[in-house]
Parts: sequence; structure tokens; C-alpha cells
Amino acid sequence: MSDLKKHQYTMESCNHCGQCKWILPARMIGWDFAEICPIHMRYSYDAYSGQGMLNMAREVSEGKLSCSEGMMKLAHACTACGACDINCKNVKDMEVLEVIYELRAECAEQGFVPEPVKRTAENVKQTHNIYGLPHADRFAWLPADYEDDPGADTILFVGCSAYRYPETALAAIRILKAGGVRFRLLGEEEWCCGGSLWRSGLHEEAGELIRRNMEVFRAQGVKTVITACAECFGNFRGIYPRFEETEISFRHITEVADELISQGRLTLKGADAPMKVTYHDPCMLGRLSEKYVPWEGEIRSYGLHVPEKKFNRGEFGVYEPPRRILDAIPGIDRTEMIRYKEETFCCGAPSRETDPELARFTRDERLREAEASGAEAIVSCCPFCRDALSGGPVRYLDLTELIAEHI
Amino acid sequence: MSLSREAYRELAAVVGEQYISEDDFILAGNRAQTPEIPFAHPSPDAILLPGSVEEVAEIVKICNKYGIEYIGNVTGCIPTAYCTRENSIILHFKRMNKILEINAEDRYAVIEPGVRHVQLYPEVRKLGLSYTAAAVGPGGSVLVNFCATGGDHHCQYGTSRPTRYLLGVEMVLPNGEILRTGSLQTDSGWFCPESPGPSLRSIVKGYSGNSGKLGIITKCAVALDRCKGPAEFRAEGLSPHHKIYMDSDCSSVYVFNYKSIQDVCDAITKLGEAETCATVQKYFYLPLTLMMTESANEFWEKWPEYKKIFPMPLVVHIATHSAREREYEEKILFDVVEETHGTRIPREIERWWEEHMDYFMIVARLQSVLRLGGSWLPIKTGAESLQHMCDVYDQTQTFIHDYTNAGKIFDAPANYQIIPMEYGHFASSELLFMWDRKDPQSFRYMAEFSQRSKEEDLKNHAYVMAPYGFGKAVQEQGALYSHCTDWLARVKDALDPNYTLDI
Amino acid sequence: MLFPENVNDVRKIILEARETGKGLVPVSSGPPHIHGGSANPDAETVCFSRMDRIIKIDRRSRYCRIEPGVTFGDLIPKLAESGMRLNMPFLPRANKSVAASVLEREGVLVPKYQYDYPDPLLTVEAVFGTGDIMHTGSASGPGPVEENRSDMVLPWGPATIDYYRLFTAAQGTMGFLTWATMKTEVKPSLGSLFFILSDELKPLTELANDICRNRVPDEIIILDRASFTDAFADSAAEEEALSGAPEWIMLCRVCGFDRYPEERVSIYEGYVEDACARFGLTCEKQPSFLPFPAEKAEKMLMDCDRREVYWKERRGVRKELLMLAPPSKTPDIVSAARAEIPGAEIIVQPQVQGRAFRIEIGVYGDGSEGYAKDTDDLFLNAAKKLMPLGAYFDRPYGRLPELVYPEPVSLEVIRKLKGIFDPDHILNPGKLCF
Repeated sequence: MSDLKKHQYTMESCNHCGQCKWILPARMIGWDFAEICPIHMRYSYDAYSGQGMLNMAREVSEGKLSCSEGMMKLAHACTACGACDINCKNVKDMEVLEVIYELRAECAEQGFVPEPVKRTAENVKQTHNIYGLPHADRFAWLPADYEDDPGADTILFVGCSAYRYPETALAAIRILKAGGVRFRLLGEEEWCCGGSLWRSGLHEEAGELIRRNMEVFRAQGVKTVITACAECFGNFRGIYPRFEETEISFRHITEVADELISQGRLTLKGADAPMKVTYHDPCMLGRLSEKYVPWEGEIRSYGLHVPEKKFNRGEFGVYEPPRRILDAIPGIDRTEMIRYKEETFCCGAPSRETDPELARFTRDERLREAEASGAEAIVSCCPFCRDALSGGPVRYLDLTELIAEHI
Repeated sequence: MSLSREAYRELAAVVGEQYISEDDFILAGNRAQTPEIPFAHPSPDAILLPGSVEEVAEIVKICNKYGIEYIGNVTGCIPTAYCTRENSIILHFKRMNKILEINAEDRYAVIEPGVRHVQLYPEVRKLGLSYTAAAVGPGGSVLVNFCATGGDHHCQYGTSRPTRYLLGVEMVLPNGEILRTGSLQTDSGWFCPESPGPSLRSIVKGYSGNSGKLGIITKCAVALDRCKGPAEFRAEGLSPHHKIYMDSDCSSVYVFNYKSIQDVCDAITKLGEAETCATVQKYFYLPLTLMMTESANEFWEKWPEYKKIFPMPLVVHIATHSAREREYEEKILFDVVEETHGTRIPREIERWWEEHMDYFMIVARLQSVLRLGGSWLPIKTGAESLQHMCDVYDQTQTFIHDYTNAGKIFDAPANYQIIPMEYGHFASSELLFMWDRKDPQSFRYMAEFSQRSKEEDLKNHAYVMAPYGFGKAVQEQGALYSHCTDWLARVKDALDPNYTLDI
Repeated sequence: MLFPENVNDVRKIILEARETGKGLVPVSSGPPHIHGGSANPDAETVCFSRMDRIIKIDRRSRYCRIEPGVTFGDLIPKLAESGMRLNMPFLPRANKSVAASVLEREGVLVPKYQYDYPDPLLTVEAVFGTGDIMHTGSASGPGPVEENRSDMVLPWGPATIDYYRLFTAAQGTMGFLTWATMKTEVKPSLGSLFFILSDELKPLTELANDICRNRVPDEIIILDRASFTDAFADSAAEEEALSGAPEWIMLCRVCGFDRYPEERVSIYEGYVEDACARFGLTCEKQPSFLPFPAEKAEKMLMDCDRREVYWKERRGVRKELLMLAPPSKTPDIVSAARAEIPGAEIIVQPQVQGRAFRIEIGVYGDGSEGYAKDTDDLFLNAAKKLMPLGAYFDRPYGRLPELVYPEPVSLEVIRKLKGIFDPDHILNPGKLCF
């Protein structure tokens, strides 16, 4: 069963103020780059927005509207970037993104699952990675001379993306080694984090995987999980707590590197040539990386939540470490785009298979913004953002690799 | 119901297949029940996204041909943006959202209906200009602000109501003809609202707008003012704790508390006579508490204390052209506050205002009233002389306690706002009340209280706002206001004999 | 001629006219009627001179309510007694109806008090051509006007139509006004008048645009030398002295009110001086060419023309071409007007916060029929050339209706409205587009 009904309060509370579609007033500096919802920009109908999906979900929840192929396509065209959610929560106690997740789950329960999502789920089931590549090759890129620290209680979780970008995983290893961090790899025990399945509405399949991964962490005495993948990181923090409480600390490589630099354990050398860059906040590293705290309770008169509920309003995402790191590389001149930090604009990658045209549109919009910032390169640290943003008019640079190059 | 295939084909031929939808899940986004309304709106048969005035005109002609009711919509924030009956379509203006011109020298902007404040406001701020806007937040439609709604600008004391700033208008009449009003009528540009007499500006908007009932406005020009005080601010922090800083010695913010509404009225009058201060508003204490807190739970924690600290807050923003002028205005302000028995409130509350003293910061935060369940209704949303609106406040105090004490509505009887305009020549008012959506009787209480409020106005011959719209009940009420609804009906009969345009 | 004394008389006159089909032409002011009055041999004239009560002056809420026969000569001193003033035209004749002046959209001197074009008009009581009495804005109700407990100052509506706008520049074709509520302002306790001089108009319009957007001036007006001389010179010697004045003279006054007036005036004087410096203009308190103390001009700015000969009658019979223009287009329009209209005397007044300028072009002649016809033709031809430059003729007198009403869609709507509010076409027949 989807948990749509649990969000009745949110679904009933929308007054169409429109804040889910636009950046917040403090960040408004011009007309260009003021919109924040990719699907609303692309498709224009109100239904294509956080507001529209709340309205739709409410009708589904109340039995007035049935899930359909069209609704499924809409719900999965949405990149689930969370901009609507954070903007809404700027002033309200509503859970817009949770409703979008549950609308997808409801669609899935009624048999509406997009083919690419089905394929990913099957891949994960068969090969433990989203690409359907042999599990045995998960660490094929590891150099022969790599040495694990078997006694370490910290692991580096490389994620499925290491199949595509092993250089990022190697860079992460280099950073940790240079900083003297004791860590090891899970090897064949590392499977897909499972978050993307959950976010696609396949809660049961995701649950099995997440519980399995947590069991592995527990069995291996893991206390800290470091990852260079923003997607895995956001899932560990935002999805895993839905299944079980844990004391494990989930950290992104940029947080670790930033700490190492501040402690003097890692020093970065200057860039070969001066370069102006802009940093793209991945949604899953920024606004969607706050730790999820499950809440069961009652919403009483006039919105009083009993017991008190912790709302993730996007304030505590990982925003500063990547910026501090870039600022620590002599010769790099960092500039901001208009949509940044908790108001970042999605790269479009989440929809690359469910709605390729929307994904292209979103990517182009983000690259246009990067170009307008005057930057020569757009820096980020998410393999999916890399998929989307590479090959455009502004060069894409992976931050993890950039750090490693400047050690 | 659904559109006949003939009608659909003709409409689709105008906008293109991708810009017309009859899909139920798409329609869901434009028929939703909003928290303050106890019923769902009838579903539109289709939603269209026209791209030009010519397309709108063609759609209108087709609607007339097939007897389809049509309604213009931008944000859906106000109840009039929804269908009122079956066999209707919605024209959504998302695609017609261009800022066509910003003329900084002559101080006007020309916009299409889909332009929202979030688009226009920052663009004009860059040029050191500003405009007045009703309290709907950054997502609000600029065109609706100037042409349709009756809301008021929270920083309008030195300026006026949006209706004052509407200039030339282009409108598709119910017969599909395109009407241009004001200076536009003679191809003399957008700058003047008044047509050669008798002015057609008269039917575009009165106290409130026609909400598209006499025509779909497809372009309008709006007047811009110089932004008094700093045009730029520095923003810091992350949501939900954004703060702004006006790094200027020409700007200062003060908040005072008063014990009597008459003292507030006297203070505003005296400040207006001296033509000082950019913003003076008697704010309401319930939203202020909500705006200063992060969640409903935090509100409940702070409310008992805050309602004692600022039951009647007067917010003042001084914005001047020079530091010397600021000091001069401050001197007058403090004299007036002393004469009228005001007291300064704790610094942390003043600081909150300082850090949000931008119009859109305030109105965006104002949406936080929805945290208390979303059921809220502004009444007494009228305007008249400052003294009259203060009298109206006194009048509300004679009956509101019957409802607050019985728990029928939220216990905030003084939650009344007065926004003076034109340096105190007029003032608008708003009594914002909330009810408990969890209580099955709450909508009845809401209706009961609203009705009582209207009856008190009639009994006391207090002008707040005249009724508008069509139908027998409204016309009976309109008879008490110079038969305004009869006259409106006659104009509607003349311009829209088929009544296809949003009744 | 009919002389109603109250609203019921007006209603009765209109209802009778509906029966007889005889047209009615309203007159409120004494002569001269520069815009040709509303002479119509086939209609009866309704003269409002006996409806001359100042119904109310309210200092606290700053307004007055007057009947249409109240003149500037009557009202200005009464308001002054209450410490108030009216935002009024430049030097109107003393017998000019105040209500008619605002209905005709005459320019006003203090643009900062004008938020919208009909300002300072607030609410009205009027009788439509149907005989129905309408109270506009907050005067509309609830219930009978005598019981209305509001101040009846809110102009808009009632509800969704701005009825008061229907009457402006309509020359009485939609209804006859029986009272008007007007916004009044606090009378300054201190003022300081600048003469800002230039041989070119453009720097002055740019300056006006700058200081008006900052709400600096109280009274502000730009006159050409001839208009300035007509308005202020009281003798041949003064006329002679003023011939040495520059081509354009801007009068700009800043004021202080009851609280710390000297300080306010000093601050605002500084703003004017700074702005003049930025535009390369000099501002003077007593220019050398001025043959009388500057105080005389300052006093006249705040009053009507009470002299025996009204300043617009000094050179003969005046006819005027009136238009509005946005600030950016005003200098070019004025230059073109000068080229098209020989002997034109020109006044430029910033309006509505300085977002538009009212341009008043006056010519003088002998008052013959030939002069009237020739001038109407001249104005029509000039207007045709000025329109493409951005001139907007919102007050079409003479032959100008031929130019401003041909657009069929708006014409149809205007006629539909006329059909509602004056179905028998008895109000000022033949005027405008009716």
C-alpha cells in the first residue's frame, strides 16, 4: 500500500500560491532563471508542478481519479528534484515531495510503472547495479596495487556509477589515502544503494535491498560510510532511515575532504591556469540530503503536530564543503549561478530515460545558466549530474577528481 | 461533460494539439479544492494554453459558437479563477508570460497575463523602480494584481492601491473583438489609462476587477514608481531563514505597539500630514507571529507571549533619499509616537522586520498563515478613510468575541490590519480569521461569522466593500450600493449577451 | 436655461427631457468657455450655478465635498481656513467650477499628490441619462447616502466598475454631476520657490522627470516665456522686463509642513539644487529679469486668477490644443507643435507623479467664426502630425473627435455604454462620438 493517505493534510493544504514553481523572494534577482520546476517550465500546465501533483494525488487518494498511463508519465517526468518541496516548506508545514513519491508508488501499485524503471529494477535484481552490468566487474577498475585497510570501520561506498566513472572512485581513494583516512571497500558485498528504486515508487523492491545493505553494514561493523556519489549519499540520508534507525554516519567525500583540508591533513596545490568555475549543487547532496526522521503522530487543530515533527526544509544540506574546497584551490575563481544551494536547479538526469526530451530541456536550461554566470566550467560531484551536464557549452568538471588532481 | 468533437477540433486547430488537454489528471490541477473552500469546483472540460491575443480571440469566438463558458487563469490563487459550472474551459496563460517592455524613463511596464511578480519585480528593481502589489506573494500574477484583485500592498502607505497604477489595456471582448483602452485606443502608447471620454478604463476595473467577466485582458501596462530607499538588498542565509540587509543609511525600520486603535489612527494621520515614512502599517498580530516562527508547533509555543507583546503593532519603514532626511523623518516619527502613546517593542521583533523589510519577503512569509490548517478568510477587505476603517475595527469588536469565545473561530479578535495609502488619505483593512478545519462544523461557523460581519456593516451603514457578480442574491445586496450589480448586469448584457465569459 | 438647485431638480429635468426628447447641455462655470462651451441650439442648457454649496470640509480625513457650481474663487479661501489646499490647475479663473475642472481632466500643479489621472476627484453623486441617481465609490452605500457613515472618499467602484471615470472628459454625455468629493491636502507652513531657466525644453523635462519620481517638488510647472508673461505680468513694464527672460521657465516649489518645516525645506532645496547641477541647470530664487518679487509668483501659484482680466484673455480669444505625452516624448512633440502652430504659447505640466506631461498649447485670435474654424482645422492638422510622435489627445475639443474616435471596436463599446446610461441620447447630444 502506498502511504498517500498519510499525507492528506498536505494535499488538502495547497492554496495554489505558486511558490513551488519559482525561486524564493530573497534570491530573486531577475526574470531569467527564476523558474525552478523543470516540468512546469517544459509543459506549462499546472498539473505539471508540485501543486498539480498534490491536487492529482488528493483526487487519487479520495478515489475520484484513477491512476493512468498519462499520470504515470507525468509523475515520472518529474525529476523529483525537491525544489517544490523546499520552496513550499519555506513557509508551510507540508510534504510535497513525499506526496510525489507516494503518487509514484500508488501508480506502481496499480500497475503503472515506466519501462525504464522496470528495467532498472530488473537490473538491480539480477546484477545488483542499475546498469545490468556483471556484478563481478563492479571493482574491475581497482588497481592491482590497491591495499584495503581491513581493520577500518569506515567504508568507501563507490556506488553503481563506478562502472561508468571509475576515475571518480579512484580519485576518492586518492583523497582518503592522502588524508590518512583509514577505510576499506565492501568488494563483492557492495550492491546498489537502492534509493532510486524507492524514489521511483518501487518501495517493496527498494526495501529488500536497503535492509540487505544495512545488514551488510552491521555485519561488517561499519561505523562510517563515505561515498563520492551524491545520489547514494542522499539516499543513505533521506531514504534509509525509513527502514531502520542506525548510528552509522553517512558522509560525502566533499565533507571529508573539506574536513581534511581544515585540519591541515590535505593541502591543495594551485591550478595550472586560472579558471572561473561555478558550482552546481546536486539535489541529492544539497536540499535532499537532510536526514529523514520518521514521524508517526497526529495533526491536531490548527496544524499542531503531536509529537513534534522534524521537517526537512533544505537548510542543512551539504552546501559549504564543496565551495570551501574550490576556494582552497589557488587560481580557481568561483562564481554562483542564480539558482544555487537549496534553490539549485535540477540537471535533468533523473528523467533521462522516463522523459528524455524533458531531461534535455532541463540540462540545456542549467547549462545556459552556467554559461550566463561567466564560468568556464561547471563543477559538481554527482555522476548523474555529470551524465547530464557533460558535453555542453561549459566544460563539466567532477569535484572529487578535481581535488585529487590538486593534491 | 466533455467538449463536442467539433468544438475540440476547432480549439485544437487554434492552439495546437500540445496546448489543449482534456486528460482528467491534467484537469485535476485546475479544479482543486483549496483549503478555505468547502467544496470542489466543477471540472473544466479542457485546459488551453493560448500563445497570443489572436489565439485568445479565436478561442472566444469558438466558445460563443458552441456556447462554452471560458475563464482566464494564471495562478489559481483566487476562487474566481475556477469554473463555476459545467461545460467550461480554462484558458491558462502560462505561455503568454512575456514582459514586453520596461520603460524606465517613462516609468511603466507592459506585460502579458502570465507574467508573475517573480518575473517583473526583480527586473524593475534593477532599474531602481518598484510597483504596488497585493499580498499574494512572488507567484502572483502581475496582471491580476492590477486588473482583477482588490488586494493591497503592504508597503503602500506612500504609494497607493494597484488599481491606481493600471495604464493601457488590451482586452478580448466576449464577441472576440480586441479592445484597446487608454492612450492605446488612439495608438498613442501605453502610458495613460483614461480613454478620451467617456473613459473605457471605467469598465476594466472598479474597486475590484471584473475577473475577466467583461473580457479577457491579454496585455496591460502598469505604472512604476521610483523605489524609495535602497533599490538593492543583500540576501543571506538558507531557506527558511533567508534574511535581507538594506546596506544603507537611508533606511530604518521600527515597530511600535499601541493600546488603542484610535491612537494608531492618530499616529498614522499625523505621519501622513507630515508626509514622512515609506511604509506605515498597522499589522495583524497573528500572521506576524506565524511569520516569525518556523512551524505550527513553534507558533503555538510563542503565541501566548507574542500576543501580549504586540497586540496592535505599527510597523514603520523609513526610506529616504539621504541620511539627513532619514534623521529628520525619525525625529518626526518619535515625536508622533510619543504624542500618540506608542511604545517600542523588543528589538528582536524589530530586527525580524528589518531583515524582511522587502515587500516580497513579507508577502511570501505571509503565506505561513496556511500553517494553521489552511482555513482562513480575510473579511472587511475594504477601503475608505483611515478613520472609517478604524471605526469598522471598533465595530468588529462588538461581535467577534461571540465567535472567538465560543471557539468557533481562532481566538485572535484583534487580528485586524490597516494599510494606509496616499499618506493616509485612504486606508484598506482586513480582518483575517481562521477556523479549525478538523472541526466538522467549522465551515458553518465560517459562513455564520462572515454573514454576521456583512449584516453588521449594513446595520451600521458602514462602507467596506460593495458586492459584485451576478444572480438574484447578489443583485439584492447590490441594490443597497447604488444598484451597482444592476448596472454591472446591464453592461454584461451589452458586451456578453450569451454569458459565455465566466459568470 | 434651467437652474436646478438640488439633485431632485436635476433628476426631474432629465426625466422630463426623456419624455420630450429635448437634449440637455450642462454648464457649471462662468465665461469664458475656451473650449467652445457646449453650445447647442437644439438643446436646453442646464446651469449649475445655483448648486454652489460647499457641503463639507473635513480636515482630519483631508477632503471636501462640493456642488458643481462651487468655484475656485469660493473654495480656495475656505480650504485655507481649515489649513488645507486643493491640488488645482495653474492659475484657473476665479469663476471656474472646481468640479468641472477635474471632470475636464485639467492639469494639476502638484504631481506627487496625483496617483491616478482623475485625482483629486474622489466620489460623485450624479444623475444618469436614465434619471437614476448614482453615488460612486464608497458613497454608494450601504443604503441611502444620508445614512452612509463612511467619509465617502474612496473613488473606486462600487464593485467592479469605476463609475466616476465614466464622467471624466465625457462633457456631460453620461450623466450630470450634482456633487463631487475632492481630495485636499495639508497647507504647507513654509515654501521655497525656484525659478529654473533654460532656452531648451529638454533639460527641464528631464529635470522634472527626475525630481518628480523622487517626490521632491510640490508645485511644478514649465511655461514658455510668452505664457509666463501672460500669467504673471500686470503691466506693460513688467511685460517688457519679461521679454528678457529665457525661453523656458520652470517654477518648482518645495515645502515644509507643521513639523520642523525649515528642516524639510532645507533638505528638499538641496535635492532640487543637486538635480539642477546634474542636468547643468541653474536655479534661482529671484532671477534678474523678474520685475516683481518672487513672492508674487509664489502666491499666484497657490491661488486662482482674481484679476479683472483673466490671464488667458489678455491677448484676445484663446483656443487651446491639449494633449498628454510621456516624459521621453514631450520635447519632440513640443518642438513639432511649435513648427505646426504659429504663435503657439506652451505650458508643460508634469502629472501623476511625473509619469506624464500635460501639454497645453494656446493661440489667440479675434473670436470670429473664421478664426474658430481656422484654428480647429489648424489643430486637427497639427494633431495628425503630433500623434505619431506620441501625443495623446485625451480631451478632444473642436474637430479632434474626428481623429480620436474612428477606431471601430472602442467606438462600439462606448456607444453601448451610452445606450445603457443615456438610452435616449438626451445628454449633451452631438458631443464627442455621439
